[in-house]
Amino acid sequence: MEENGEKRWNFWGMGKLNPQSKTSVRGLLMKIWGSVNKDDPRPLLPLGHGDPSPFPCFRTTPVAEDAVVDSLRSAKFNSYPPTSGLQPARSAIADYLSRDLPYTLSPDDVFLTIGCIQAIEITLRALARPGANILLPRPCFPFYDSYASSINLEVRYFDLNPEKGWEVDIESVEALTDENTVAMVIINPGNPCGSVYTHRHLKEIAETARKLGILVVTDEVYHHLTFGPNPFVPMGVFGSIVPVITLGSISKRWLVPGWRLGWLVISDPNGILRKSGIVECITDCLNMTSDPPTFIQGAVPQILEKTGEDFFSKTIDILREVAHICYEKIQEIPCITCPNKPEGSMFVMAKLNLSLLEDINDDTDFCLKLAKEESVVVLPGVAVGMKNWLRITFAVEPSVLEDGFGRMKAFYERHAKKQ
Amino acid sequence: MEVVNGHKKWGFQGNPELIASSISVRGVLTKLMANRNKDDKRPTIPLGRADPTEFPSYRTTPVAPDAVADATYSYNFNCYPPTVGIVEARRAVAEYLSKDFPYQLSPDDVYLTGGCTQAIEIVVSVLARPNANILFPRPGYPQYEARASCSKLEARHFDLIPEKGWEVDLDSVEALADENTVAMVIINPSNPCGNVFTYQHLKEIAETASKLGIFVISDEVYGHLAFGSNPFVPMGVFGSTVPVLTLGSISKRWIVPGWRLGWIVTSDPNGIFHQSGFVECMRNFLDITTDPPTNMQGALTQILKHTKEDFYSKILTIIREAADILYDRIQEIPCLTCPHKPEGSMVAMLKLNLSLLEGIIDDVDFCMKLAKEESVIVLPGVTVGLKNCLRITFAVEHSALEDGLGRIKAFYHRHAKKE
Repeated sequence: MEENGEKRWNFWGMGKLNPQSKTSVRGLLMKIWGSVNKDDPRPLLPLGHGDPSPFPCFRTTPVAEDAVVDSLRSAKFNSYPPTSGLQPARSAIADYLSRDLPYTLSPDDVFLTIGCIQAIEITLRALARPGANILLPRPCFPFYDSYASSINLEVRYFDLNPEKGWEVDIESVEALTDENTVAMVIINPGNPCGSVYTHRHLKEIAETARKLGILVVTDEVYHHLTFGPNPFVPMGVFGSIVPVITLGSISKRWLVPGWRLGWLVISDPNGILRKSGIVECITDCLNMTSDPPTFIQGAVPQILEKTGEDFFSKTIDILREVAHICYEKIQEIPCITCPNKPEGSMFVMAKLNLSLLEDINDDTDFCLKLAKEESVVVLPGVAVGMKNWLRITFAVEPSVLEDGFGRMKAFYERHAKKQ
Repeated sequence: MEVVNGHKKWGFQGNPELIASSISVRGVLTKLMANRNKDDKRPTIPLGRADPTEFPSYRTTPVAPDAVADATYSYNFNCYPPTVGIVEARRAVAEYLSKDFPYQLSPDDVYLTGGCTQAIEIVVSVLARPNANILFPRPGYPQYEARASCSKLEARHFDLIPEKGWEVDLDSVEALADENTVAMVIINPSNPCGNVFTYQHLKEIAETASKLGIFVISDEVYGHLAFGSNPFVPMGVFGSTVPVLTLGSISKRWIVPGWRLGWIVTSDPNGIFHQSGFVECMRNFLDITTDPPTNMQGALTQILKHTKEDFYSKILTIIREAADILYDRIQEIPCLTCPHKPEGSMVAMLKLNLSLLEGIIDDVDFCMKLAKEESVIVLPGVTVGLKNCLRITFAVEHSALEDGLGRIKAFYHRHAKKE
């Protein structure tokens, strides 16, 4: 197998053949971080990704840490966990979610996953029969697209309407659906939009999905993180109208995204998903994948049952405050506009007006130059499906946010088109 | 689309391809456990799964839970980890493995995963390209096949030779490999056979693979658990002969399979994985998969550096004694033979002689009836690729092992063919 004296390996040239090298949030952020000027003595201001855990005001509750350490030290949780998760953890999550539903979930409806990310992986895999397609919102959390693409599951995009609080454009959903469509995904509270859907709108979505014969996958990783006029309503409330698969985790509400503890829940009182074989697929997938560590599962009942309301309210208060600062500060920068004040999650979408800027080509160019000149990192909207928009995180220390917007304003002024 | 009761018939169903690729150790054990007699008051003897955590003799070292507790309370590890793993943990793994290598691994050679399970998931998924094939040992570990089937990567099987200590039949490897073969997998110390390959044999494997232009995936989840005459030699020692991908975890050596922390390491001093594009592919894939918890990663340095030698020797002694008990007792059960006394890992393969039994059709039937009549769980060999064999775990409390083997003997007598 020698060629020109050089060893020939059968696995050569992998990079070119592999279809998985799509833009991911992490990948694009790495590129932007890479362009930060290393000689800038000012601290880097990370307004591009949703992880407030390094900031002291967003510290998790000691209840959670104690629960994990108790579980660890008990030495009862070192063994392999069962495929779907430890029974007490499944029970605790069923109880926790049932508090907001008109029916009671069974522990058998709950599957533990390594964060919401793995819940998304398993769901997409279970739905990806040959020829199927799923509907994703635009803008969207880009992981759905990257993962679907890696398993050859076709995705189609329906629009979210910025003029109507980022609500789902129902007509575009209907236009996209055909006999191979299996599901539509919604993210509520919204990433990247920061929207919180009303009961009325979620019911409309449920009825539409039912009419079209598709199920609804609801990504509620930001469940209960709402601070505006609309309360959080879980999609599972409409589980008797349309079968719902609910994805969630402790990452955001407890500020511990690094612990990787999530869930995939069948919110389907009519048992349609079980009859269709999808639940069996989910279990089969879980049988051959890894799991969240057993001792973190072991801590779940304590975490869900003993965390005090005051911890939750404190987090909501800070988020409300920083969301407000974010919205106000955006108003002071002419080249960016925010059509909807964020009312939930940790992000907001802001539109970029390139005509007011000199020598900035697009959103990616804006972000790369902003990182280089001001050491501020923001995500270009192209990563979430909306070119020439920006996705900004407000879940940071208030002073960091003020500083960040101050530098963005300076950046705008430096690049503003001369009148 | 058909309309039923005013809405379209549901357009979703389970992915049939997934259901087909679902043989897993967990899946089979669940069925066996369900077949037990509920009225049997005796404790179940679990000889089917390599997970000794419930037994007091197999307690992990206090260094491990202390390290995780420290990491959890430090507040430094609640954030999302980088996709390849946190740098201190990667450095710790590189140093730990380099102790046994003739060259130094870099932290950049190390990728942290959710247990060896996720390492397998990642490697097999990354290698999947149209027309490629991969070589697996038979008997082997069924997750490889399940994963390959899911990713549409063709699996071919080479034999392990029971009469030669379960060594790799290199002729069968050469016969199977063609220009589309990308890699071969070896598991050393072996699951399910319990043998440990010699330096000489590993060298032959390296030279064969190199000649064929394929790389070696060395599953070393049982690394260092060698208690017979052959010392454990990591395949990476031959990294300059053939590129080696080393898979490992803390699950077995530290008796914490529930902690789900493992690694993939490129043991490749000539940098062929980089040049071929494989590393780029793997990094792209890591961007779209979930990660092990950050606090686990944070604890890894302490775990790898501070575990004392006497903990390792203690565990090895207990396992060695258990292997002796197994080998001796099996000689007393005519229908079972052990072709090669186990010298590593926690499991061994036994041959089942059905001609000495009445009314037992095959290995699955044997195991199902054994579970029902004696509450002893053993894995049927068909799960690992060899029909009419059994995979038995010996890493349990010695008293439980004696009890279990006693019950298997009773089972034999009850079903022995009358002369």
